[in-house]
Amino acid sequence: MPQGATRDVFAYPTSIKVLQATVAQAAVRMDEPELIRAAQRGDQRAFEQLVRLYDQNVLRLAMNLLRSPEDANDIYQEAFLRVYKNLHTFRFDCSFHTWLYRIVTNLCLDALRKRRVRREEDTVVETSEGFLDRMDTVEESRADGDPQRQLMSRQLRTRIRQVLDGLTPRERAVFEMRHYQGLRLRAIGDMLGTSEEAAKNCLFRATQKMRAALGDFV
Amino acid sequence: MKCEDAKKSLPLFLYGELSFEEEEQLEVHIDECDGCRDALTREKLLFKSLDAAEMAPSLELLAECRAQLRERLQHVAPERSSFWDKIRQGFTINFHFAPGIAQPIGALAMLAIGFFGARMTPASFPGSVRSAGLVEPASSRVRYVEPVGSGRVQIVVDETTQRTLSGNLDDQSIQRLLLTAAKDPSDAGLRVESVNLLKSQPQSAAVRSALLYAVQHDSNAGVRLKALDGLKDFADDPETRQTLTQVLLKDDCPGVRTQVIDLLIQHHADSMVGVLQEVMGKEQNGYIRMRCQRALHDMNASAETY
Repeated sequence: MPQGATRDVFAYPTSIKVLQATVAQAAVRMDEPELIRAAQRGDQRAFEQLVRLYDQNVLRLAMNLLRSPEDANDIYQEAFLRVYKNLHTFRFDCSFHTWLYRIVTNLCLDALRKRRVRREEDTVVETSEGFLDRMDTVEESRADGDPQRQLMSRQLRTRIRQVLDGLTPRERAVFEMRHYQGLRLRAIGDMLGTSEEAAKNCLFRATQKMRAALGDFV
Repeated sequence: MKCEDAKKSLPLFLYGELSFEEEEQLEVHIDECDGCRDALTREKLLFKSLDAAEMAPSLELLAECRAQLRERLQHVAPERSSFWDKIRQGFTINFHFAPGIAQPIGALAMLAIGFFGARMTPASFPGSVRSAGLVEPASSRVRYVEPVGSGRVQIVVDETTQRTLSGNLDDQSIQRLLLTAAKDPSDAGLRVESVNLLKSQPQSAAVRSALLYAVQHDSNAGVRLKALDGLKDFADDPETRQTLTQVLLKDDCPGVRTQVIDLLIQHHADSMVGVLQEVMGKEQNGYIRMRCQRALHDMNASAETY
């Protein structure tokens, strides 16, 4: 792009870095409270910018919790539609991030609970070429060429997924939010409607189970 | 610290979720215990394996989600409560272009109704607008104008109304408004005043959290100093200490850093040795260096690390 040229923030991003850059540019142009107020007044463009500040992380959280691109997309749609419909009720009593994540985590927890009841959603499917784990087709977070990724065996990945499946929905949510999203336990407690201490206990139990199940692999 | 406790703390340590004191104790233990040092190495390895198992949605999926959302938003209207609908309706003014003398007569009639209506309404009338705290709109802006046919035009006006509330500082609704005002990004003066009022209520967890947020994130040094003042009775609280330590190492205002040093060395001064030595290593301000040096001297600690 020639120096000095402007980039349309809504244009299709060609890479994660470009996406982050465009989001940062948008955030600089109008800060979050301004965007929220504008969106509350019915400014569609402001709402889109607001979505773009958070949607990548929302999709990542849903993807890691539900491990299905289709389900992650469903959560994404439902979460942002709810935000859109109810934005007029947002009164800045908490951060927008907390408010949004409350909606997203509730939707994900409901989906996980339903899944536990149905006992379905095994990611391993039988194909003409034998058994295939659908999640092996999903991109992992590490860049190609990352030695850690190259070294990690398929066996360990499968084991980690089994352990994650064995966690309760709440343990799973706390672990995902702390480990992969880097959120503080206090914020996680706010988002899940519980105390920081309860979130800490959940995380503690999750890591204990991980260590017990994966100790032989690492 | 026992090895069993140390091993239990390792995940929280790696997540940075231990308090300042807990972290200190664990670090001291790990320095002395080979077994726990190995356990920490194994824990780090486990974390790396977990990192590598994270799944990132593809950009194609992200683009698909966005396209779908945009499509769906076109068919959904944001919900509005009936109250706001009424308010909005109230702000919609219909003008009819009546010819000749009808317009001034109509305007005079409305003025007269308003004047006599106000005169005849008793001041203590229970349902009066004044007693509800509603006064004249403070500002208004025409949002859009639209011809609606037959010479009529519809104008939608956004109006901001002012409401005066009064109450004690421990009143929840007053406190909630002050907490919101304390984060208003557009008005530093409002934030200073709000934090100044809130600082007398640091026993409230919400207020303390707002003060800690202001100390760490407010762009205005005056606000940060007021918030620090409110935290002085909580300089012993682990979370407050952790925040203050970060402020000491990062804040660009020498006044704030000086105040933070004073608060931190009030309690548990010994645990501050490392932090003060770190400050000494990078601090450019002569007075703050002198302040740190004096504090370290009082603790019988050296000003430098070897």
